[in-house]
Order: sequence, then C-alpha cells, then structure tokens
Amino acid sequence: MPFMAWTDQPTRRSASSSAGSSNLFRTALSVLLSVAVITGSNLATADSRDQAKRIHDRITGVPADASLLDDMAAAIDGGNPVAAALLATQQPEFYSVTLRNFAAPWTNRDESVFVALNDYTATIIGMVRDDRDFRGILSEDLVYVGTGAGVPAYSTSSNAHYEALETADLQAVLEPRTQSSVSGLPAEATAGVITSRAAAKSFFIDGTNRAMFRFTLLNHLCRDLEQVHDTSRAPDRIRQDVSRSPGGDARVFLNNCVGCHSGMDPLAQAFAYYDYSYNVDVDPTGENGAITYNDSGTTDPVTGTRVTSKYFNNANNFEHGFQTPDDAWSNYWRAGQNAVIGWDTALPGSGNGAKSMGRELAQSQAFAQCQVEKVFENVCLRPPRDSADRSEVDAIVTSFQNNGHSLRRVFAETAAYCMGD
Amino acid sequence: MKNLTVVRNIVSALAVLVFLQACGSGSGASVEANPVTVAPSVSNYSGPAPATADVQAFKLNVWDNLVPNNRCGSCHNESQSPRFVRADDINLAYDAINPLVELGDPGQSQIVNKVRGGHNCWLTDDNACGDIIESYIENWAGDSLGGNGKSVQLQAPPIQDPGESKNFPASPAGFASTVYPLLNDYCADCHSDTAAVAQSPFFASSDINVAYEAAQSRIDLETPENSRFVDRLGSEFHNCWTNSCTADAEVMRAAIATFADSITPDQIDPTLVTSKALKLTDGIISSAGGRFESNAIALYEFKTGSGNTVFDTSGVEPSLNLTLSGDYSWVGGWGVAFTDGKAQGSTTASRKLHDLIKATNEYAIEAWVVPGNVTQDGPARIVSYAGSSTTRNFMLGQTLYQYDAYNRSTETNANGEPQLSTDPDEEDLQASLQHVVVNYSPTEGRRIYVNGQYTEDLDTTTAGLLTDWDDTYALAVGSEVDNETRWAGTVRLLAIHNRVLTDEQVLQNFEVGVGERYFLLFNVSEHVDIEDAYIVFEVSQFDSYSYLFDEPFFVILDDTATPGSIPVAGMRIGLNGRELIVGQAFSSLNTTVTDTGYAAEGLQRLSTLGTVIQLDKGPTLDEFFLTFERLGDAENVYVEAAPALPATPPDEPRGPAPGVRDFAEINATMAKLTGIPVSNGTVNNTYELVKQAMPVNSNLGGFVSSQQMGITQLAISYCAALIDDTGARSAYFPGLNFNAAPATAYADRSLLTDPLFDRMVGIGVGTQPAQAALASEIDDLVTTLSNCGASCESDRTERIAKGACAAVLGSATMLVQ
Repeated sequence: MPFMAWTDQPTRRSASSSAGSSNLFRTALSVLLSVAVITGSNLATADSRDQAKRIHDRITGVPADASLLDDMAAAIDGGNPVAAALLATQQPEFYSVTLRNFAAPWTNRDESVFVALNDYTATIIGMVRDDRDFRGILSEDLVYVGTGAGVPAYSTSSNAHYEALETADLQAVLEPRTQSSVSGLPAEATAGVITSRAAAKSFFIDGTNRAMFRFTLLNHLCRDLEQVHDTSRAPDRIRQDVSRSPGGDARVFLNNCVGCHSGMDPLAQAFAYYDYSYNVDVDPTGENGAITYNDSGTTDPVTGTRVTSKYFNNANNFEHGFQTPDDAWSNYWRAGQNAVIGWDTALPGSGNGAKSMGRELAQSQAFAQCQVEKVFENVCLRPPRDSADRSEVDAIVTSFQNNGHSLRRVFAETAAYCMGD
Repeated sequence: MKNLTVVRNIVSALAVLVFLQACGSGSGASVEANPVTVAPSVSNYSGPAPATADVQAFKLNVWDNLVPNNRCGSCHNESQSPRFVRADDINLAYDAINPLVELGDPGQSQIVNKVRGGHNCWLTDDNACGDIIESYIENWAGDSLGGNGKSVQLQAPPIQDPGESKNFPASPAGFASTVYPLLNDYCADCHSDTAAVAQSPFFASSDINVAYEAAQSRIDLETPENSRFVDRLGSEFHNCWTNSCTADAEVMRAAIATFADSITPDQIDPTLVTSKALKLTDGIISSAGGRFESNAIALYEFKTGSGNTVFDTSGVEPSLNLTLSGDYSWVGGWGVAFTDGKAQGSTTASRKLHDLIKATNEYAIEAWVVPGNVTQDGPARIVSYAGSSTTRNFMLGQTLYQYDAYNRSTETNANGEPQLSTDPDEEDLQASLQHVVVNYSPTEGRRIYVNGQYTEDLDTTTAGLLTDWDDTYALAVGSEVDNETRWAGTVRLLAIHNRVLTDEQVLQNFEVGVGERYFLLFNVSEHVDIEDAYIVFEVSQFDSYSYLFDEPFFVILDDTATPGSIPVAGMRIGLNGRELIVGQAFSSLNTTVTDTGYAAEGLQRLSTLGTVIQLDKGPTLDEFFLTFERLGDAENVYVEAAPALPATPPDEPRGPAPGVRDFAEINATMAKLTGIPVSNGTVNNTYELVKQAMPVNSNLGGFVSSQQMGITQLAISYCAALIDDTGARSAYFPGLNFNAAPATAYADRSLLTDPLFDRMVGIGVGTQPAQAALASEIDDLVTTLSNCGASCESDRTERIAKGACAAVLGSATMLVQ
C-alpha cells in the first residue's frame, strides 16, 4: 500500500486553532494509518453494491448516500447499470466537482486544473447537465451564467461572476444565455467556448491566435500538432511570420514547421477578426481584458481591413508568405494522412469565421472519439489499454452519436463499463 | 527577347527603387590577396576638361579608379591601346573605353569579361577584379543614366525535357528489408502510432504501409546522404543509438543507398503535364544592383564561397579584408555561417574606418544576417570594431530577441555604453534572414532599422562626437576581437558606410534583397500552342539547403502575341525528374491567363506568393521543371491515395482498478461525510492552503506521503468544524456528551464509533473495512487519548472526538475510489 510511506511527522501548518496538541494528533494519525491499512481487508468479488459505489465514486467523486446506493444497486441487479450511473449523474457533485475539474484544464495554456471557475467551464457543465448536443461547444451562441444573491453580473472584462460561484451548487444555479446577449459579440461571431472570455484570455491574448487553434485541437480532438504533422500539404496559406529558414537552415522549415503550419494556418484564419484587449501596463496578465471582434464595418488601424494586426506580426520574416485578407478558412487536412480524423463529408471543408470552423472540428469523428476517450480516462482512471477497452470506446462513440451527442450519457455508459466484475 | 524593365515594375517594387537612386553596385565578389598598404599613384589630371557630364561621370567613377599604376594605368595609358586610362585627355580616354563597356548591362562589358578571363588581375581572384570594375561601371551608368543601368531582357532558354529519376515503388518490400529495420529498432519508441507517447511522423509504425508512407518524404533516393534520416542523425545528433552519431548516420545512409540501388530509375511519368526543364544556370540574372552604396567604405558580400578570407569589395583603399577563424562555414547563396568562429580584419586596415568615419562624424552599419537562435546574449557580437571586450568604437550585438547598438562618443564610456537596444517585447530580432541597419549621427544619435523599418527605439543618450575613437582597434564579425561572446548565425552581407543611410535608402537596400536571383523561364508552348510561351519564376538560392521560387508569371516573348484564354491549375515544382512532396505552394493555384489580364503589362502574374523548396544536388546540377493539373487543354487529374489507417496498438496491462480521489473530490467527500459545507470559511481557508498538496490525478501509483499530509490537514479542519459546532455534533453523534470527561463520555464507545462508521465508511459495502476492525482501532485511540489523568484539558472529550473523526475521515476509506 502506498500509504505505508506516510510518516507521522508533525505538520507545519495549523489547520485549526482548536485542533489540540500535536501529541494527540500524532496518536490520531497513527490510528489513521491503521485504518488505512485495514481498508480493503474485506475485498472480495464486487457485488452490485460495490459496483454501485464505484460508479458513484467515479461519476461524482464522492460517496453515495445509502438510499441512492440501494437504488443504484437495484438497477444493476436489474441488468441496467447505465440507469444506475445516470442516477449518479443527477448528483450535484457530478457538476461541481467532476465536470468542473474535467473541463478546467482546457481553459488555460498550462492545462492546470487549479484555475477559477469561468465561463468556459460553466458552459461545458451546463451543456452536459442539459443533455445538449455536445458538438455545439465549438459553435453555439451559448454561455451558461449563474444566479444567486451577491453574485455580480456577467462581465466581459472580469471573471468575478464565476469566482462568486466557486462553492455554489452548479447543477442548480447555472442557466443558459445566448453569448451574444451577454458578451456583445455578434451572434454570427460566437463559437461556443472558443469565443468564451476564458478561452480568449488564454488563447487570443497576444501572439497570433494560433494558440486558440492548437489548444482546441488538443482539448477536443485529442491531438497535438505533432500528431497531425503532414509536410505534404500545400504551404500557400502559411503566414509571413513563419521563417522559411529558421537560423539559416531551410530544412527545419521543410521537415518540421511546414508540417503543422500548412494545415493550421488556413484553419486558424477563421480567428482573423478576434483579439483579446487589455492594458499591458496596469494589467499585464489581462485579468480585466475582454475579447474583441472586428465586426463588419470595423477596420483595424494597422491592417486597414477587419483582420487584426497580429496576423501580420513579423511579416518580414518571409515577405513572400501568405497575407491574410479575411477570415476565410480552409481545411487542408481533409486530404492526406489527416483524412483519418474523419471529417464530416456533409460539410464543405471551408468557410468564414470561427463558428463554421468550430463546426468543422466538432462534427469530425475524432471529436466524438476524443470526448469518449477523455471520459473513459476520467471514469476508468486509465486510458483504453486493450482491445476490450477499445471496442467499448468504439461502442460508446457510436452511442454518443446516436443519442444526441449527450456527454452525460457517455459518463454513464463508461462508468457502467468500469464498475468492476 | 523581351525587355524585363516592365516586368520588374510588376514583380516587385525593386525596379521603382532602382531608378530612384543613382549609383549602387551590389554585385561583384572581389578577392584581394593582400591589403594595399602603399597608396597607389593617382594621376594628377591636368588635361582638357571633360566635355560632357557623361565624361565627367566616367572620370569620377572609372578613370580615377583605374588610372593608378597598380590597376590599368601602368599599361593602358597613352602608350598602349586601348588607351582608356590615358592621362593627356580625358575625352580621348572616354572615346577609348566606350567600345569596351555596356552601360545597360555592366556585367557584360568587354573590359569586365577581359579581366574575369584572367587578364592582369591585381588580385588572386580574377572574378573579384571583374566585380570591382563592374561596380565602377555601374556607378558610372548610375550617374549618367539616372539609375544603375541594369535592365533585364528575357531570352529563350535552352529547350530540354525533364530527365529520368528514381521514384518510390508501390510495394514497401524494398523499404522493409533495408531502411525499416533500423527505424523499427531505434525509432519505434516514439515515431510509432502505437508508442506510449506517439510522435508523428510514424515512420517506425508496426504497420509497414504506414511506416513506408511516412518515411518517403525523409528519404532522398537520388542522393541518400541528403536524406532527412541521415541528416537528423549526422548533423542534428537526434537520438543516435550508439556513441557515434556519425557512425549511425552512415549506417542509415548505407541502408538508404541499398534501397535506392534496388530501384530502377523511372522516366518522367507520361501522364504528367510538364513544362520544359531548366537549371539555375539557365536562368537570367534578375538582380545585380540597386543598392545604395555611395558611402560604403567597407563592403562584404561573402561571394567567394571558399577559403578563409572575406574580401572587402567596396573599392575603398585599403581593402579591409577579414580573416576567418574558428568554426565557420560558407553558405550557399552567399554568406558565412558562424557557429564558434570569427572574421577579423587587421588593425592597420581597420584604421580606414576610424579615419573615414571620424571625418564625417557619422556612419551606418548595414547587414543581412540570420541569427542562429534567439537565446544568445552577452551581447553576442555580430559586428564589433573594438580593442577588447570592454573597449570599442562601435558594435552591433544580439541579446535574445533584441539588437544592441554600442557607439563610443564623447557622451559614452569607452565601451560605447549606455547601449541602445530594440524593445525586447517587440521581438524585432528573429532567427530568420533580416536586414539590420544601425545609423549614428551627431544629430540623431543611434537609430536601428530592422527589415527596412525604423524600430522607433529612441536613443536617450546625448549624441556626441567621435573624437575619442581609437585607431588601433580591429573590425571583427561573429565574435569579439578577443574571441569572447561569440555569435551564432549567418552573415550574408555587411557594409560600413561613413554616412547614415536615410530612411528611403534603408528601405531601398532592404527591398533589393541579398544574394543573386534568376528568372527561370519554363517553356510551356507545347501545351498552350503558342510559341515562346513561358511560366517564369524568380529563383534564388535561399540558403545552403533550399531555393526560393517566387511570384510566377506567364509571359510570351513575342510582344505581338496574345495568350487568348489559358487555364492554369495545380502547378507543382519538379526537381531532378520528380515532383517534390514538400513546398508545393502553387498546387492550389487555379486561374486563367486571359488577353485582358495579360494586356496591361505584357505578362500576367499567377501568384504573389513565393515558396521554398529543397536543394538536392546543388545549384549547378539541380534540374527544375513544372507540372500542372491543368494547363490549356492538357489535364492530369491528381487523385490522392486514401491514407493508411493507424495500426491497432498492442494490448497493455490495465493496472489497478482503484484509484485515489483528487483534491477536489477529497474536499467534496469530506464535506459530504461530515455535513460541513465546502463553503465553511475555516475549512475553505484550509482547502485553499493545502489543495495543491493533495493528489491532482487519480493514479494510485502516483500517490506520495506528502499528499497524505495535505489530506490529514483538511480532515482535521473538517472534523474540528464538525465537533466545534454543538448542533452539528449532536446530530452526528447522538447521545455523546461532549461536555463530560472522557471516561464518562466514552464509556460507550459505540456512541463515537458507530456514527463514524455508518457515515464515513458505509454499510454493506464489501470493499470497505469491516466495522469491528475499525471500531477496534478507534477504541484503542480513545483509550490512549483518554489516559491523561489530572492533566486533562477541559475540552479533552472534544479533542478526542476530533482525533477519532480525522483518523477515519483522512484514511483510505475516504481516499480510495
């Protein structure tokens, strides 16, 4: 048992002034160790109650009430473990704990779970709760906001609204709104979590907006750029800021850079009108910044078009490169090795703006596969490791696609698979 | 033949700028054996005055330079024909030289070619002498014609079909028996789709078809040593499997060579719609001037390509040639790459910088550089005119993303400090080809320009005089003179001017570019049914490993011909008999050449883009051609093969089914088990304090003792909150009298242990501890803690309850899920 490594060294932090003397707690902690050791002493083949406990633990992160455990065990005994798991998804901790931490790493570059609740996370939680088509996370005009006494209103320039909801029952307090009604973005410029304030603060801030594409790819197609690297695509949409001879060696470009940029740049062109505006002098991390969008009729003073100036950063690195005229995107990865991503043939593979590009990503087979694999690892505490796991993932992907892309059901079906024998 | 002046106006702004400024040389790689340390004898001309302005221009730019005895003056004076440097009458000298020069194309002047051919060059390199005389004539032409005199005329190149080449066979069998075993043995831990951390490209996939497909772009069948696989090992030392990357690279090269040898060369695929083929040497030089260099007192173009001397081709005596030392290499397309090396001139020759710059009290350092990285600092010395690491006249350096300009004046210290640096947040310096200029004048101080633009970094140091400059210092490139703080990168041109460059001149020199460029005219007549119809690229060697193909246009050499309507789609560049896989920026092209589009300029631009393609055998051997999906009526439909599906990864052990709760789950679980909400102030404060000390993920194997400490602290906090709340504790522990002494309160231990078990462990769950075992442990704890005799605190009972609560709450019964 790993707990055997624990020692009863006195803690340096005092958690409570009334906690008592260190000797008393050393003794208590010794007992704690003993309790730890005896845990599992009754391990045996899991019965339906044990299975129900595991399902509940994995879905909500907390132990079940005795009565709920009875209901879940009964469902399992009745041959319907998914129904048992769906009962668990009705518990508030599924939203406030499991889903919150499930989504939190997607909202920042460090992929840290230790970030405040924000509109990105809240929207994921709300969409799962309401069984909305999860593909809409990358395209819908939607954001979830909270209610409650003392909670400040949603703000485009502050996260205070969500920070006030940190300890609230998110299952109860979240309500859907159109993003355009609270953020001021035109409805056609909204693209689900892509245009959330949290995503903008993390991925539209500074830089060239490629980060938004990369992290969306990473978080929702489960592929980093290394995995979609394909040097055989046409490099005609690679912007001028990408050196074609880094450090004086074009082989670096021809063998590495081009593999990602040839596909990424024409897709990230969808974000050409977005930026994250903040005062770098008084607010260097952009805590009070806001997403901006050059709507029709708005002209960037540097570019003279709707395209933000960041698309022309370091334009002299390769003046013969692509100059972004608008937000028209194209998916060069529909051909070549990345055709295995499984793009939706009903879509045209090109368009204008983040909404249609988000739809392009979300309607791929890889998106569905990615969501299921993420849930699988979250619930089963391991990635799919063998043929049985992979077959189950495939089956759940199919179920996901046939059941309105409900991620809540994916949690339930996965928990049923991993409930133990 | 078609005059390209019009073309150049279209293709770039270069032509416009060329005619804005008189003078400029810009071509001419010169090689001089030894610095001239004795002033040449210059004729003190006393003959008739120049009859015209053109004669005057000839005298100033050519005659004055060639008349010394160590040039042409010792022979071609009044005594030997042609008497173009005769001193008796400048007008007669002018008459004599006119048949020998081509002002419209100075490089084609007979006098230049004569010297290039070996006629009495005063240097060790005949071409260098030719370059210098060409620059004199360019200057003359610039003064006389109002430009550099350069016009480009498109001429029909030799017509030849693309040659044969080796291509990858459809079957991976040959690959599987030669190269693949190495990849599978040494690369599969990462470059396989079934690796634990799969890293594309998957050329070591367990599926041979996947591996073969991914490997093709990294294998050069024509020249195996140029394969990416070989280079990655031999030059970049990427995960070599023995102690010798060189040996590993050779093993890989040999395997690729074996594979290549097994392949019979193919003729060009007959289904391809191709243009005729060209080599770079078949091209027409498109750039040979336009730079502003009137005040260049030292000029380095790095054209020699070998040896250890970089020649000063400014023509300003004495030549400040630089000697290369340390680790450096000449790069293709003109330049020297420094890794740990230096180019330094003698202090004697360097003195001309001191003398000529002090005379004007202003200067400009102009360079085309490719910083090797954005991590070097010191500053790393790009150009330094110094006596040591701490004493100098000027310096251009690099600190990460910024350029640093040091200048010694009456307002600075001897090191030229305080320096002027570009804003680090602007990241003006990039590890890419850049044009950088540092101006210094006593009125504006230092101004730094990058890629033709003023960086707007203000020099806050008062501009002073250069009277303190030291004439014993030496000019060094790529390093400090004392071999410290070396710079990694490539210098492709360096000029020192003894006047500042104006904003316009900086922009002009930037837009002229660096290196030699050619127009390659790819004949497409057979497909468009028009004689002398071409698709033209401006091509240059981009660096040692690549070519730049830029801004293609369609042109017919016959000015009277019109194109009609010619669809052009899916244009690709072929190299040495095969279409390249990487860099096909024009494969998406889809346009039509029309009479209307063609008429305005006598050509039609097909794209404003440029692309970089690999260099294969070298600029004199590589043969290029174009292919088309559609050109005129000819069509070749490309159908891309469906990609191979990823291989199914092998089964792996699943690992233990249980895991631990993460920090948030622990918090929520403790809240639920104690009934104390997570929003409780005291508890929440503890949680915020310890949450990052608790498990972040559920991996059982990743659990460490320090995380248990965090859990314990939080458990204590929750239990304290529970026991301190009289209402909550009464509900939680019915019948337990917390106000009684321990002996009384815990006389019935079940009042304590039963609620703890029922609410924290759970009833009827087989995977949790047995109630009796847990009760026994708690019983022991209570007994021990109750044994305090007369020293018991008044709240001892509460404390014992907290301890027992925390022992259960912080244990594995809570933690494991």
